[in-house]
Amino acid sequence: MSGAGNAVIFAGDDPGDETTLLDILDHVLNQGVILRGNVIISLAGVDLVFLGLDVILTSVETALKHMGAALPPAK
Amino acid sequence: MAAELKNDRRVLYLYGITESRPRDLPELIGVDRFAPVEFIDCDGVFCWISRVSADDFEESLERNMENLDWLAETSVAHQRVIAAIARQTDILPTRFGTVFRTQDSLCKHIVKRVPGLKKDFGRIKGADEWGVKVFSIQPAVSTVSKVRSGKDYLQAKAAMLPNRRSKPAARGDLIKFERALESIAAETAPVGNVSRGQRGLSFQASLLVKRSKRKRFESLLEKFARDWAQDRRIECTGPWPPYSFVSRPADKLRAK
Repeated sequence: MSGAGNAVIFAGDDPGDETTLLDILDHVLNQGVILRGNVIISLAGVDLVFLGLDVILTSVETALKHMGAALPPAK
Repeated sequence: MAAELKNDRRVLYLYGITESRPRDLPELIGVDRFAPVEFIDCDGVFCWISRVSADDFEESLERNMENLDWLAETSVAHQRVIAAIARQTDILPTRFGTVFRTQDSLCKHIVKRVPGLKKDFGRIKGADEWGVKVFSIQPAVSTVSKVRSGKDYLQAKAAMLPNRRSKPAARGDLIKFERALESIAAETAPVGNVSRGQRGLSFQASLLVKRSKRKRFESLLEKFARDWAQDRRIECTGPWPPYSFVSRPADKLRAK
């Protein structure tokens, strides 16, 4: 965009840096250690709650659309 | 909002797991921007947690996720905690939104998985995650000046959009780029569930790069950026904790 197409744009991991929220969400929500399946679980032995990634991503896209943020549909 | 001590139940929000306990870790504040981050020693594996409201992170988690302000603040806070620990020691970050009800259930669960976790520690040892994106540089819209009809305009505009199927030579360049990255990275993973719709984006990947290879990695990006100066722009973000390289396929888990 700036025309400075001859340099790599590097951004660090500090949120105060140039990293955009999209990048943070991309990485933070990408994976991580999955401890159990993909739904909210509350078993007798292991009381673990986990929300599936798909739900999160759908929510992100919905929320961005509501805000009119720049997130064109994937296709 | 979460700063007030509501009389509600607390649950343990898990950020990640480390094999050692960093000595100079500054005090960290958790995802609710209130409770401090603590560690729990589960049989020699350290689980990094903070105590959060069950209301916000269990019952209403799904609803909260639909609130972008909440999601943005919480995921940035999540990232800050994990990145701060990652600067000092290798960490296996847990998936966003993983909450345990009790310390006992957390430890029980983790201890059972220690052998698998050890393998993952071996894979991510001394490595960081990096995000690489390639964008096509698009001509300014003002170049569409000689249009006489709507059809002309649409045709001119279509010509400017990145064409995914045409230009095999251009795609060949991207494949070359991808291969070069793969030769340096310990592993690669798809990324971009959130940002894949960005305009002009023609390539995106997440890479696990050993710190000893960081210079080579940066030189490679710079070389391609120079070669592509007219056509493409490369964006690189990182170092990230290895979010994209620590998960076991769900079917393996289910098979257990």
